Amino acid sequence: MKYFWAGCLLAGSMGSCSQPVEQQAHTAVRIRWTRDPENLSPLSLSNQNAVDAANLLYCGLLQADLATGTYAPALADSLPQIQLLGDSLTHLRYQLRSAATWDDGRPVLATDVAFTLKLIFCPGLPNEKVRSSLNFVRDIRFDPTNPRRFTLVCRGQAPEFRFESGDFPVLPEDALDPTHSLRRLSLARVVAASADASPIPALTALAERYQKADIGHHPERLAGCGPYRLTAWETRRFLTFERKPHWWADALPAAPLVLQAKPLQLRFSIIPDDATATLALRRHEVDVLPQVSAREFKRLQASAAAQRDFAFYSTVSYEVVTAGFNTRRSILRDSLTRQAISKLFDPARLLQATQLGQGLRTVGLLHPTNDRRYYNSSLPLPTYDLPQAQVLLRRAGWLRQPTGWTRPAANGQPEQLALALCYRTEESTFKTIALQFKAAATLLGIPVDLRPVEGSAMTTTLREGNFDMYVRIQKGNPFAFNYTAILHSRTANEGNFSKFGTPTTDRLIEAVDAATTPAQKRQLLHRFQAMLQGQAPLVPLFFLPYRLVADRHIQHLYPAAIKPGYSAPTITWADKAAAAPVQQ
Amino acid sequence: MSQPTRRTTTASRWLATGWLLLLVSGSLLAPWLPLPFLPAVPDLAHLAEAPAWGSAPTHWLGTDPQGRDVLTELLYGARQVVSITLPAAALATLVGALAGGAAGFWGNGGLRLPWAGWLTGAAAVWWGLALPGRGVVAPGLLGLAGLAWWVGRRPGAQPSGWAVPLDGLFQGALTLLGAVPRLVLVLVFAAGPALGATQVMGLLVLVAWPEPARQVRTQMLRVRELPFVDAARAGGLAPARVWYRHALPHACRPLLATAPLSLAGLIGLENTLAFLGVGRSPDVPSWGNLLGTLQQEPGAWWILASAGGALVLTLIALQQLAQQAVKRN
Amino acid sequence: MTVLGRWLLAQLGRAGLAAWAVTSFVFILSRLDATKPVDLLLGEPDAQRTTLAAGASAARRLAVEQRLGLAEPLFYVSRAQQAGVVSWQWHGLHNQYHHWLVGLAHGHLGLSFRDGQPIGPRWRAALAYTLPLAGLATLGAVAGSLCLGLALAGGPQSRGWRAGLHLLLTGLQGLPLFAVALGLLFAFANPDVLNILPAYADAATAEEAWPQQALRLVLPVAALVLAVLPELALLLASILSQELSADYATTARAKGLTTNQVLIRHALPNALLPLLTAWAGLLPTLVAGAVVVETIFALPGTGRLLAEAVAAHDYPVVVAGVLFTALARLLALALADVLYAWADPRIRLTP
Repeated sequence: MKYFWAGCLLAGSMGSCSQPVEQQAHTAVRIRWTRDPENLSPLSLSNQNAVDAANLLYCGLLQADLATGTYAPALADSLPQIQLLGDSLTHLRYQLRSAATWDDGRPVLATDVAFTLKLIFCPGLPNEKVRSSLNFVRDIRFDPTNPRRFTLVCRGQAPEFRFESGDFPVLPEDALDPTHSLRRLSLARVVAASADASPIPALTALAERYQKADIGHHPERLAGCGPYRLTAWETRRFLTFERKPHWWADALPAAPLVLQAKPLQLRFSIIPDDATATLALRRHEVDVLPQVSAREFKRLQASAAAQRDFAFYSTVSYEVVTAGFNTRRSILRDSLTRQAISKLFDPARLLQATQLGQGLRTVGLLHPTNDRRYYNSSLPLPTYDLPQAQVLLRRAGWLRQPTGWTRPAANGQPEQLALALCYRTEESTFKTIALQFKAAATLLGIPVDLRPVEGSAMTTTLREGNFDMYVRIQKGNPFAFNYTAILHSRTANEGNFSKFGTPTTDRLIEAVDAATTPAQKRQLLHRFQAMLQGQAPLVPLFFLPYRLVADRHIQHLYPAAIKPGYSAPTITWADKAAAAPVQQ
Repeated sequence: MSQPTRRTTTASRWLATGWLLLLVSGSLLAPWLPLPFLPAVPDLAHLAEAPAWGSAPTHWLGTDPQGRDVLTELLYGARQVVSITLPAAALATLVGALAGGAAGFWGNGGLRLPWAGWLTGAAAVWWGLALPGRGVVAPGLLGLAGLAWWVGRRPGAQPSGWAVPLDGLFQGALTLLGAVPRLVLVLVFAAGPALGATQVMGLLVLVAWPEPARQVRTQMLRVRELPFVDAARAGGLAPARVWYRHALPHACRPLLATAPLSLAGLIGLENTLAFLGVGRSPDVPSWGNLLGTLQQEPGAWWILASAGGALVLTLIALQQLAQQAVKRN
Repeated sequence: MTVLGRWLLAQLGRAGLAAWAVTSFVFILSRLDATKPVDLLLGEPDAQRTTLAAGASAARRLAVEQRLGLAEPLFYVSRAQQAGVVSWQWHGLHNQYHHWLVGLAHGHLGLSFRDGQPIGPRWRAALAYTLPLAGLATLGAVAGSLCLGLALAGGPQSRGWRAGLHLLLTGLQGLPLFAVALGLLFAFANPDVLNILPAYADAATAEEAWPQQALRLVLPVAALVLAVLPELALLLASILSQELSADYATTARAKGLTTNQVLIRHALPNALLPLLTAWAGLLPTLVAGAVVVETIFALPGTGRLLAEAVAAHDYPVVVAGVLFTALARLLALALADVLYAWADPRIRLTP
């Protein structure tokens, strides 16, 4: 009996030891991350968390504005002025804000931008990714009258240069190049050196200094002009950012959203497991839970206590769950077969089952609500239709035999319709889709081999074409319509996993990319979506939602369709809990 | 000490055998049973639902997070257990016992391989790897091996050759399998086609044999010093016979406790393999996959009760049979 | 030098050799395919960024490969097969394996692919989390298995509370490790049930009092102990039951000793061998960690480090991990052999 009371005493004392931290002074915001950013170097941001951290530490010329869903000027004082030269060059004229300064008071000038671009193109540094996103930049020209004005010379004339040219963090020249030795080298020279890897001593010295400074783990050695400073980083546990007491944008009379930074401290806790993260939220050990899975969302909404304490947000993102075909396979070479097989997916019920009905179906790769100006609503949504699939297969020349569907191939030999479907193992949504597809195909007598692939092997499998069909998440771009990377024949060994492309479709994609006026774009995009349904190299099933759960006292979270789905620097704490409904 | 009564022994033995028979018959008859749902077909309207015995067609044991009916998966998954996992457990125990017994009995210096054997092995390796000059070197080594064999056949020849370091090889194999199993699997098997039943069984045996092997080796270290082994050797029995007929059965005593429990580990291993994308196709029903879905849906008590319950009952049945085997000894 | 000393030296030598062989095998096997780390570092081609010319992407891959050191030949020799003819080619000392071996001899484990950081400090930091977790779990499992095994063997196991305990332990054995961990989490860190323990290992402040740090380890340690306890306890109970039916046990009871005295003083020393084997199998987790528990409870230990490195194809970290794990396993085997010799003096250790 005495052991029983001793046990109760022990449990009670342990309970009092670990009270969840409830009503502390709300100056800090605690957010959950799934993985460690690993490398905070602004040149080699390996995952989305690193990008978010870099946005806190550094400022770019333009930054994504989550409230409007487009780019807004941050270090620049307005969007750049475009000047097209001939048919192959673009000049983008930028003007930096006069209030922008570094931490030591020096102003941010065009020479800093030039230095940053040279660093991005410097060979021998781990900057391949950011370099490829800026590879249209050829040179930078200064304005002799105004040290804050400069012009970027770009090769090509795509309309998205306007936004993409400003999306990189501006770095201070004095930190890595105090003697200004790189000012003698023009950016064009550096760009040429990066292409043919010819060694230039000044660049080699710069690369060495960069590597020695180990910016990836000590970003304070290359301090940017962003609002926050990294004060603590325990790898794979947490990161803490503190607001700089005097930041240059505080002096602006009407700071735009991209230049607001309210929380005094931002703390990111790394919790890999979803169930643990949900419990941490329930115990008030974290305040914001981004990228919540459908199951956790449903479970939290079902709990009355959670409904009282937390607000639930849901927006439809730009990520599409897509099923695709390997158009180089002989069985899938014609569009009728592909159309027939695409009718074996049931996007409506899959969306309801796996995403709780949140998310949106689409006819093409365009967002139905955010891109409604260009969305072709006259086209039918992809639906589950077994009889129509059979009709289409017969029209494509397939005959149903006791052994399966066969038809004569190009060389006269009969070929058998059997499919191998590849998808990443970790996602349970893909597994449900694959099982539903296989069940439907079995009803028609088509054998399907399901191949879950371990995450890191998936990219290689897709690139090398070792599959008949795949199911994956296609990330979209909210700012431009450029489908060259995924549907142009030129990229068949890169991002065009379907290996699709005919001269007609190539021309259409190039025209879409080059269109300038909205009317022109609308007409071309309507044709593009119709082409996508007709040719069916991939079947867009549905857009995924971003789900967010946060404490009810938190405001100005701006849940948006742009990654990461919320805006951390604008968060404020209210005194009373807001009655925030679930937003669709 | 009071012995359990004969009635309890018989009752538990009958229950154990009964459950195992039920398992086997369920797995064999599954395709002919009048089940309302097919295996591996997701019911998209009912994902991860608790058992609801009202509307028809009923999910008697609920559904898993992919919408598959748990009862159907359990019955069809029993085939995987009966045809792959149980034989794999038995085979792993057998292989482990033999390997551990050999390593423990002969150690590093006990088993001598004559020069002829070493030279033949070297010739085979040279030829197999296609090392340079294999057309000359391999026959040369074979010739030397023949010479060594002829020399060794003369009366009065001393036993020659090096000892095969069985214990060292055993520990090396254990280390290799212990340090890197999943990595090797990912590197070798990922992104390939789904494995067949035999290959999965081979994989399970490969990962599971070290456990019983270590136990048998330890016991063999003790058993080989016992007087009856010396007596058998002094009586003129061949070492291999002494090892197999006299020492090994004694060394396998701890296995009667651990072997039944290894089934649980193998079922968990199947699940881990599925996470890595290695193993059987994901639409093949298995208890491991069913238990693995608990990680996605921790609140699915019906899956824990049904699949976990079936697994525990199987473990208890196997333990009962093992205990009967002990008592008969 | 005594026999034991010579044996120990021989054993350590063999352990070092075996660890080197295993690590080399993994080194070569992992780097046979050099495309995966490069693919992962370059990331999937971002859908709508303006594309590159085909040649530029090949140059980009080559740049990354050179930076990671993957552009050199792999080993001293390499085997090529052309038209059915196998040929071997000598590459000299400029190969990845030789550089790694030389670095290892100097004590450098290499640089991680993902962030270019030296690997040694990373492993030390991860070990600082894994050692307390695995050490406490091992001690708990040893103590728990002894107590439960002795309790179970003290009477007939087919009736009364012993049958219930047996059933409970078998049930625990049937649960996968993640189910045990999640179960503990949802039982003790859940505001809906019992909210008395912290859910994950996060430091609320920079310096935390050690009672709070200890509390954060309670659930992970309990999960690990509950996962390994059933097999150990049931093994001990079975062996002890077998020993109790031996002749010497009957004699001891005839002399008037209680069952407990017979168990502890006579049966247990005879049952030590299998138990020591099972306990020695727990030791490698001190270095290798337990991935599932570390992921669920957000502990940045060595298990998670190794698993994440394998998933990201970060070969230097993986090879270093394999080296440490192999060494730990071999040393545990050697330690187990020494303990066997101590437990049963009849066992001879021959070098």
